[in-house]
Amino acid sequence: MNAINPTSLKRRSFIYRELVKLGAAFGEVNGAAVALNFGATREAELASARRLALADLSVLPHAGFKGRGTAEWLTAQGLSIGPDSNIAYGQAGGELAARLAPAEIFLLDSLAGSGALMQRLNSAWKWAEAAPRPQQGYPLPRQDSHGWFMLAGEFAPEMFSKMCGVDLRRDRFADGQIAQTSVAKMGAIIIRADRKVKYGRAHAAYHVLADIASAEYLWSCLLDAGEEFGIKPVGLTALRDLEQ
Amino acid sequence: MSDVNRLPAPFGRLIDRSETVSFDFEGRTISGFKGDTIASALCANDQWMISRSFKYHRPRGVLTMAGQDANTLVQLADEPNCLADKYPAKNGLKVKAQNYFGSFDNDMARVVELVHRFLPVGFYYKTFNEKKQSWSFWEPIVRAMTGLGAIDPKADFHESYYDKQYLFADVAVIGGGPAGLAAAQAAAEAGAEVILIEENVALGGSLGYARFDAEGVRASRQLGDFERVLAGTKGVEIMTGTICSGLFSDNWIPLIKGNRFYKLRAKSIVVATGSIEQPAVFRNNDLPGVIMASAAQRLIRLYGVRPGRKAVILAANDDAYGAALDLIDAGLTVAAIADLRPTVPQTPLVAAVAARGIEILAGHGISEALYSAKTHISGAVLAPVTGEGTLGGGGKSVACDLILMSVGFSPAGQLLHHAGAKFGYCRQSDMFQPVELPAKVHAAGSVNNVYDLGAVIADGKRAGLAAAKDAGLNVASVPAAITEKGNVGRTHPWPIFPHDRGFDFVDFDEDLKYHDLINGIADGYDNVELLKRYSTVGMGPSQGRHSAVTSVRIVSRETGVDIAGMSVTTQRPPYTPEKFGHLAGRVFDPGRRTAMHHRHLELGAQMMPAGVWWRPAYYGGKADRTNAIETEVKAVRENVGLIDVSTLGGLDVRGPDAAEFLNRMYTFSYTKQPIGRSRYVLMTDNAGVITDDGVACRFHDEHFYVTATTSGVDAVYRQMLFWNAQWRLDVDVANVTAALCGVNIAGPKSRQVLQKVCTDIDLSPEGFPYMGVKMGTVAGIPARLMRVGFVGELGYEIHVPAGFGEALWDELMEAGKPEGIRPFGVEAQRVLRLEKGHIIVSQDTDGLTNVWEADMPWALAKTKPFFVGGRSTEIMGKMKLARKLVGFTLKDSGDPCPEECHLVLKGEEIVGRITSAVKSPSVGKVVGLAYVHGDDSAPGTEFTIKVQGGRRITGVVTKYPFYDPENKRQEM
Repeated sequence: MNAINPTSLKRRSFIYRELVKLGAAFGEVNGAAVALNFGATREAELASARRLALADLSVLPHAGFKGRGTAEWLTAQGLSIGPDSNIAYGQAGGELAARLAPAEIFLLDSLAGSGALMQRLNSAWKWAEAAPRPQQGYPLPRQDSHGWFMLAGEFAPEMFSKMCGVDLRRDRFADGQIAQTSVAKMGAIIIRADRKVKYGRAHAAYHVLADIASAEYLWSCLLDAGEEFGIKPVGLTALRDLEQ
Repeated sequence: MSDVNRLPAPFGRLIDRSETVSFDFEGRTISGFKGDTIASALCANDQWMISRSFKYHRPRGVLTMAGQDANTLVQLADEPNCLADKYPAKNGLKVKAQNYFGSFDNDMARVVELVHRFLPVGFYYKTFNEKKQSWSFWEPIVRAMTGLGAIDPKADFHESYYDKQYLFADVAVIGGGPAGLAAAQAAAEAGAEVILIEENVALGGSLGYARFDAEGVRASRQLGDFERVLAGTKGVEIMTGTICSGLFSDNWIPLIKGNRFYKLRAKSIVVATGSIEQPAVFRNNDLPGVIMASAAQRLIRLYGVRPGRKAVILAANDDAYGAALDLIDAGLTVAAIADLRPTVPQTPLVAAVAARGIEILAGHGISEALYSAKTHISGAVLAPVTGEGTLGGGGKSVACDLILMSVGFSPAGQLLHHAGAKFGYCRQSDMFQPVELPAKVHAAGSVNNVYDLGAVIADGKRAGLAAAKDAGLNVASVPAAITEKGNVGRTHPWPIFPHDRGFDFVDFDEDLKYHDLINGIADGYDNVELLKRYSTVGMGPSQGRHSAVTSVRIVSRETGVDIAGMSVTTQRPPYTPEKFGHLAGRVFDPGRRTAMHHRHLELGAQMMPAGVWWRPAYYGGKADRTNAIETEVKAVRENVGLIDVSTLGGLDVRGPDAAEFLNRMYTFSYTKQPIGRSRYVLMTDNAGVITDDGVACRFHDEHFYVTATTSGVDAVYRQMLFWNAQWRLDVDVANVTAALCGVNIAGPKSRQVLQKVCTDIDLSPEGFPYMGVKMGTVAGIPARLMRVGFVGELGYEIHVPAGFGEALWDELMEAGKPEGIRPFGVEAQRVLRLEKGHIIVSQDTDGLTNVWEADMPWALAKTKPFFVGGRSTEIMGKMKLARKLVGFTLKDSGDPCPEECHLVLKGEEIVGRITSAVKSPSVGKVVGLAYVHGDDSAPGTEFTIKVQGGRRITGVVTKYPFYDPENKRQEM
């Protein structure tokens, strides 16, 4: 990916200005600019990601479906969705199907960001020609309703405890578990999604999904709360490399 | 002044002699060591007087060395009321005493003491209740003479960073003394995740300073054992220097450490907060040099400070003898021990003291502390005890500079009180004790009336295991409650010896003497709760820690009520003062910004809050506000303008029953609404009150995109979810407000501009008429388009995914350059819509406005059977209207434009108010909306408006729209 200017593309992260100020180098994913790194060496960003780091994934593909028949329809589309709510179910391509409620699924692409699954689902969902129509849920504009951050590193749970009342420590909040809660006084969805390395090791990581209109606010709150732990912004590259 | 009272190591386990600190106290340089508190450093430097008392300005020094009393409250440069016996000594501190006039050493207000007989308990009630006017004269004098520290607004103030953090644990153990350490160890060994909270800087509690054996080795050995075991025990997080300020429901525990406020949620709790040593009452028991025995031991063992040179000890328990041995070991002379007990038990500690040749006077008390320099005691008068609270005459004067009081204890049960524990009086030990504890709250150690060290540790272990079991851990068995508690003989039932000449203090904080309480009871306040409020006993900074039990004893004896049926006064959180900074923490204020927010800033917008959003009010400098708004209005009327309407609520209502759902939610009818058309929506609540409005855009027979007001959409969404759950219709409601951002491009040239970037939609009047809705693309961005007329001109609302919002703005501004497109803000929009007479719900309506008052019966579907609020609306339609919303202009064009909420009068009766008014740039006169009397709503009717300064002007009811009444411009 060649370095690009976020404003050269029509889809933009709500916090791209903050990323620019922090020295981000951008690449194009999903028709938008995503921060790939912040000028540090690969090793330095990886070290940050292992300790405590924040990344903006808002422009990566994410989508949602909700309403009667949602889980059945998505299962028919080939997704693997378990019976329990507040669990994020991994998909074959590395995507996550986060079951927020029996009939509400939040889909997150893998960090590859191809968006293939979302595109396939959005294309597949159509109003049937005539009533009575089959119950297949309804698509939700999650791509644009929710900013998407990833908080990675061993200090992430402790940092979260400064702004969230849910116990997110690794021995109490399992990989794949979802908390629909309040972070810094705003509604947020937190999904633990460790970055797995070969031979069973894993680095702590959490997806944070929250109101896109408050993305700048939440970004600054997270950086502020993480300051005592030496939080650094990292790019998509470091998060991808965590699994190597 | 030098470190004259510093003892050599190993005394002073908390100080680091390799690092000195120095600070200023009342202009004197005080040196100490790292680890000292302000008070310990002062004492080391022979500065015993630290403050002046609240009322009589008597000299006061350390009393507890545990942060439990108000004697050591001092003023720092940027913070008043700091406890000098807790606050760490630091380089550069500027410390001042509090509450004195003139100089600290020669406080002129000490004269108050001379007139103490004229300041009886209840003085303020008695003096000012019937002479209220005199209070205005005396109040500033009284306030200046009394009180604690002060905030100096001119001080060198530094902003501090406070924040909060959540904590979680299976078991919270509060108190790091022997009971708490044993509890934490036991709970952790049972597999519990434990947080051990200790308010002091080091664990140990009494193990750190008290003496349990003649050799003086048991405490340190025991503490060492605990430290070794805990270091190897998994699952214990230790928080020292942390104050637990309360216990609340569901084991919610607030903790304060430094500038951070922790919110701990534990599954179960062990309270091991220990006990508070109690003072004796005798004349001058408040002066510097009279301290608790435990305070002397703390000075010696924790800080390596000699508490005096020659001591007299007032004893009533074995602990006094441990203290005596400590004094001797520290090089002090113990002149005598006056033991209140008629016979002194021959315990190992007593025997050890006797073996050192110390005079022990059984059955003796202290009738008076003597003083010479008025800042420190110089002797004690010892006299035989002749009865409960009485001493024999004469007495023996003994020169000394230190009097230790070791006459008993009271449980530090504040936190248990907060949790709802019940306390009762134990006749055997002459102490209160917890007799009923809430579920999952356990007490251990001396707060539980267990005193023998071995029993305390066993009690801690019991409580720790019980708490672990409560937390769901697999605990095979919990030991039974301790029976051999070692609590008998620890506390004297009446260590109170009033003196004929007074100054026998019960409450040091409030300067209350024995006879103050007696007089209060005589005045009729014969219950501890009443006496507390009348006399203020226990209401000072230490909250009765040293006066509550004495007060109960006095009330019991004076009223004849058995103390076993009494209790100390209610103790409420917080346990210690909390700063506003702790309660506030970091400010979380999640304002919402649209995708175009920064573009508005770049264009010089003045931003304004709109609900939780920020919106551009107008573009330009504040000084140019009026002109900026008029220019923006003119641009829309004559050319083309662009406004960010992203904050407008958006709800996708989808499903087979979507039309039926809207039919029930709103006043209009939607069943036959054509696809591709929008229709006005007006929402009422069950009482028929207007709560919101917007439009419903039908994009599919099962899909409506419904807009709502910026500040109302969340409530509308909640209402929809609520009713959807009731009705069980096959419909799904999604709040897509933030997901879709939008603009309104409005003005006669709006079509011309839009055509440049929107090529897949027929924008002609026929292809896309007024109130039409379409989906397509704008500048390649997927969009929902609506022909709207809120501002009364040809216009299109364009809603796109939020991520494209800034690009949409950029594309339209670029496309509109040749036409001179201009951004316009909320203020211009308000003017434009008012010229059209469009209401804004919550501005032109209030919490009572119904459809009839708002003159909107046209928004009611006449034939449908039901909508929320329909029945109420129907009933109110048959009633006479008390008020009605009308359009108005002014009779005299020279009159000022009324402001919102200016009153509408009928005669002198208030019948309504102005809801909106503006000097219309388009119409050239003042136009507005107002509530007038129901009888005065016919066009042409004049009514009175009371404007600024009480002036009356005349409004004329005028039919609206004021601008383009035939609506041709918006439909072009």
